[in-house]
Amino acid sequence: MSDPIRSVVILGGGTAGWITAGTLAARFKKDHAQPVSVTLVESPSVPTIGVGEGTWPTMRSTLKKMGVRESDFIRECNVGFKQGAKFARWTTGAEDDFYYHPLVLPEGFQSHNLASHWLAGDRQSSFSSAVCPQESLCEHNLAPKLIGTPEYSAVANYAYHLDAGKFSGFLQRHCTEYLGVHHILAEVTGIVESENGDIAKLQTDTAGDITGDLYIDCSGFRSRILGDHYQIPFRSCKDVLFIDSALAVQVPYASEDSPIATHTISTAQTAGWVWDIGLQNRRGVGHVFSSAHTDESRAFRELAAYLKLGESELDKLGVRKIPIEPGHREKFWHRNCVAIGLSAGFLEPLEASALVLVEISANMIAEQFPASRAAMEVIARRFNETFRYRWDRIIDFLKLHYVLTKRTDSEFWVDNCDPATVPESLQELLTLWRYQPPWHEDFDRAVEVFPAASYQYILYGMGFDTNASAFGLSTSHRGQAQQLLQQKQDATQQMLAGLEKHRDLINKICQYGLQRI
Amino acid sequence: MSNTVALNNESHRNLKVITRRGAEYGEATHLVPVVANELRNLVLEYPVCITKDPNTGQFSLCALLGFEPGENLYLQEDNWDAQYIPMHIRRQPFMVGYRNPEAAVGEDRGAVITLDLDSKRVTEADAGGERLFDDQGNNTPFMQQVSELLGQLMAGMESTTAFLTVLSDSDLIEPAHINVQFASGEQKRYEGLYTVNEDKLQKLDADKLVNMHQHGYLQAAYWLGASMGQVRKLIQRKNQK
Repeated sequence: MSDPIRSVVILGGGTAGWITAGTLAARFKKDHAQPVSVTLVESPSVPTIGVGEGTWPTMRSTLKKMGVRESDFIRECNVGFKQGAKFARWTTGAEDDFYYHPLVLPEGFQSHNLASHWLAGDRQSSFSSAVCPQESLCEHNLAPKLIGTPEYSAVANYAYHLDAGKFSGFLQRHCTEYLGVHHILAEVTGIVESENGDIAKLQTDTAGDITGDLYIDCSGFRSRILGDHYQIPFRSCKDVLFIDSALAVQVPYASEDSPIATHTISTAQTAGWVWDIGLQNRRGVGHVFSSAHTDESRAFRELAAYLKLGESELDKLGVRKIPIEPGHREKFWHRNCVAIGLSAGFLEPLEASALVLVEISANMIAEQFPASRAAMEVIARRFNETFRYRWDRIIDFLKLHYVLTKRTDSEFWVDNCDPATVPESLQELLTLWRYQPPWHEDFDRAVEVFPAASYQYILYGMGFDTNASAFGLSTSHRGQAQQLLQQKQDATQQMLAGLEKHRDLINKICQYGLQRI
Repeated sequence: MSNTVALNNESHRNLKVITRRGAEYGEATHLVPVVANELRNLVLEYPVCITKDPNTGQFSLCALLGFEPGENLYLQEDNWDAQYIPMHIRRQPFMVGYRNPEAAVGEDRGAVITLDLDSKRVTEADAGGERLFDDQGNNTPFMQQVSELLGQLMAGMESTTAFLTVLSDSDLIEPAHINVQFASGEQKRYEGLYTVNEDKLQKLDADKLVNMHQHGYLQAAYWLGASMGQVRKLIQRKNQK
């Protein structure tokens, strides 16, 4: 075989770097007698940003494949369970305005579209609570599983809220101790190309030259190889998603046994929204806003009001300002370098898309790992196509949350509804959905980041109206729907009776651990 | 209900304990906790499974006595039809408690024998039953036996935890799929019971195997797996009822 790919060098030791290292190393270890070597170079001085503390349910299989014990992860990264997101004040802006985007699919979703049934009914209960049990679980602050449920298994589908700083340290230990990842702490001082334009080596201050066959740029916003070195252009999407600044703060609980929310709470503000994420030991809260529509001091005041704190009290908690440049590189894989994480791009953390993109990027590289340099061109092209598609879908999906608002109380919301700011692909889908509810065939890929169910939850959560079918619903369709709704009702009752409070389960897991089976 | 107190030879000098078997003493149960050091005897009579404590998720060992709650197929009136009866049944109404349960490892936790005064086994009347103390307050031979039994049970509980931890850490525990069909035609499927995956056990690394063997865990693991064959006998008992 010609020029086989024997070694991978990852630049950057944040969550993106370590998730990628762990995913690749675990895969190589499983498949090969002589595994491809994985080296991670990390600057001792660059602080990690720790994007988003919310994950998608995919993180469960990502960690499981790496051989991580879920109990260890929960204990060491201050993890809480996340059962979706509650969007408050996004539709009308009223105090009691909210809807859920749960992680459990509508009952019978593989074969039956309950949305048409719900739309034809009286809509007395919210769409999400009509078709799935999870809104009730979240409102009752119940955990998505039992202490007897095996690791990574669920009673109700779940993701995580985690402490990103602790998470990279945790993964680092796992990767170096169990998966044979080489960890080098050194400053990269130069990037050297070979004659053909591939990256030949990374020069460092204290560890000499580091060479590899494939380089993965996880260097964060700096995008040192793909951006700085190769000058791959950045494609901004600020014309679609206006958010460009964040104020983030860590908020302690009132007491050790304060309830932990089991969903992300996202509360719309005048020119942005506030995220609120419950960990075991604190909440992570932040206000993301559009600097074109408000200013930092006003955003600060709104954050203080959200937390019911005085401005000086909020100041004492140590508010960090983070600039956000919404958008992504025009391509992600160039020559023998692929960017994963912030170096590839970033969007506001509205649907926790950052970590899931890291996971599916690392997964695709692991699954389609180029055996030789010649094969790399093909894989790179596929990778770029796939991820261009994914970024576009995520941008559409995030924009969907804004275009459905009925708020007109600020220019921010008005501007968001201006058709000139809505991608054509989304406009087309919205036209389609005026006449029929989202369904599997509306999307191209076998595996979408956001399934049709997610679009249903946002659309009908925000009061979007899909015309009833001109032909009505058949008796058998209505019968099946009734049966599914009854199943959902029974499942909800069982879960409400059987599940315990989120904090109580977390405490038990910290004390006893979950079993593997 | 229970009313558990530390045993002493003053206030409990005249108490007696009834030692007969019977449903009235809470023995009509389909699962009974057991410990690893009685496995040798247990597996000749009962299926022994691993179960999860619903409150802690921790594994424990249980002998299966019947197919539904309240069904003990070994118990007929006051006769327990088996050569060996699990220690947790025989210890009633005694247990061990600790005066200093928070003591650090190596420190004396102050173990004491406790007694459930609300147990129907505890009586002051003359009608049968074993005295705990003689008139001078010395332990009777019966009490001596109880004390030894509790000692074995405590040691057994510790080694059981260690044994199950090794099984779990080595990924050797798997759900036991028990599908039974009774003579009545009734079919049932049981969830929540676990056993040893013998395939994985055979493929274990040599040094892990040696380590398990040295602790007696290897034999215990095979006993557990083999005891599942007793389910067939349990079905027969059920069919004969």
